[in-house]
Amino acid sequence: MTLCSTAFKSLGNSQAKALKYPDLPLLIAPHPFGALKRDKVLATAEQCLADLMKLLSGETAGTASVAQADTGPALVSVEDDVDAVNRLYRDKQWTDGLPIVPPTPERVNKMLTGTTRKREEVVALVAPGFGAATVERIAINAVMAGCDPACMPVLIAAIDAVSSPEFNLQGIQATTNPVAVWLLVNGPVVQELEMNYGPNCLGQGNWANATLGRALHLVLLNVGRALPGEMDRATHGQPGKYLFCCAENEADNPWEPLNAERGLAGQSTVTVIGAEGTTNMNTHSKVADDMLRVVAETMKRPAGNDYRTGGEPWIIFSPEHAEVLKSAGLSKAEVKKRLWEASKMPARMFTRRDYEHSVLARKPILGDIGPDTLLPVCNTPGMLGIIVAGGPGTHSVYVSSFGNTRSVTRPVALMVT
Amino acid sequence: MPAQISVYDPTAPFRSDGLQERILPRTLVGKTVGFIDNTKPNFDNIADDMAMLLKERYGVKDIVRHRKLLASVPAPEAAIADVVDKCDLVITGSGD
Repeated sequence: MTLCSTAFKSLGNSQAKALKYPDLPLLIAPHPFGALKRDKVLATAEQCLADLMKLLSGETAGTASVAQADTGPALVSVEDDVDAVNRLYRDKQWTDGLPIVPPTPERVNKMLTGTTRKREEVVALVAPGFGAATVERIAINAVMAGCDPACMPVLIAAIDAVSSPEFNLQGIQATTNPVAVWLLVNGPVVQELEMNYGPNCLGQGNWANATLGRALHLVLLNVGRALPGEMDRATHGQPGKYLFCCAENEADNPWEPLNAERGLAGQSTVTVIGAEGTTNMNTHSKVADDMLRVVAETMKRPAGNDYRTGGEPWIIFSPEHAEVLKSAGLSKAEVKKRLWEASKMPARMFTRRDYEHSVLARKPILGDIGPDTLLPVCNTPGMLGIIVAGGPGTHSVYVSSFGNTRSVTRPVALMVT
Repeated sequence: MPAQISVYDPTAPFRSDGLQERILPRTLVGKTVGFIDNTKPNFDNIADDMAMLLKERYGVKDIVRHRKLLASVPAPEAAIADVVDKCDLVITGSGD
């Protein structure tokens, strides 16, 4: 059974259903339980045990929930009017809050022409609800987001990637942290879909970036059942939870692009990243050492998850910044090593409680940690992610991570035409 | 009546295969109770207090304690195997 605070009751109940224990009993403590003074905890313990004894004696016996068998996506009849359709999806909580393209059988069939995979094939079970992301359900959500059929192979690869255990989708979808799934695309498919890797690549205006990023998050919402306020427990969330998608600027990249770094040179790939927000790093410096110094200082965040748990943060260098570093003779691996060293942060910069947490969380990798221990942002220099993207300008972007997540890269199985 | 169209429900249901029924002991007298600490503040304290009360008031024989490395990752497999092996009831922490 699970002991959870009142604010997490809906998560506890839904999670139990998702994990096939629909009647798992919950013990409830007042939220925020962690803020209680030590001498007040005993009363909650006594109440929880009194509740437990009632459960054991059957006084409040649970009723077995009847889970609905998964017989495939159901068709719903609605008035042939875009406002009526959107009212239905809004009332059912089937959208991200934005209007959708109605997923009629005709549109879904057309979307399915973008893949050779069978419509009933299960690509992944999507946490935290562990709903089955069949090719058909992915297509339905892709229609809703406005995708072209050619997006399907990218979307399928992305759903496969997020379900990889090291990505920790369960944590990402249910956490109080503001974490979104950043979808990063490399290789020939970028040109095929006319994705934006240049000016404003993380902003508005590109059809493929926008619809792919939105479709991925609609699948996470609808198939993963991460409904805000229920299983999605984000305190604030962030705009990237609508969409967070771009391609790497391989043409203006002085180093090897990410697909090559991951052993898939020249291939179309997707990489999924559990990302917090973006931080602008504006420097007009043309001196590599000076630039690296300020980038490293920007990375130090005592309230961020990366330092506390050992994460996997990313830097998106603009082509101009990357060229400054390359011209100084620095490889991508050397830049990672320099930044990893220069961004080490004294453990004493944490609050006391976060320091204690970090001492336990990072001990298996770093050994004993004291207040003066210099903590690296990630466990090894190689885990610092670096790509090149964006257009002209003296800006690079720091993307801190959820912490307990590792990015996952998958090849995209393109249609042979 | 206005013209109608058919549209798909984009969600997936919770899985219904292999549902587990609730199996709780009727009494805790002579039983072993486990705790898996989710590392959030005060879980260790409430587990201390509950363990004390379970033994003193409710006749529990043994307590088994484990702690996750971090709140947002699953419990170690060895910890899960240990509580499955030893415990009649396990209490896990969730939330803050």
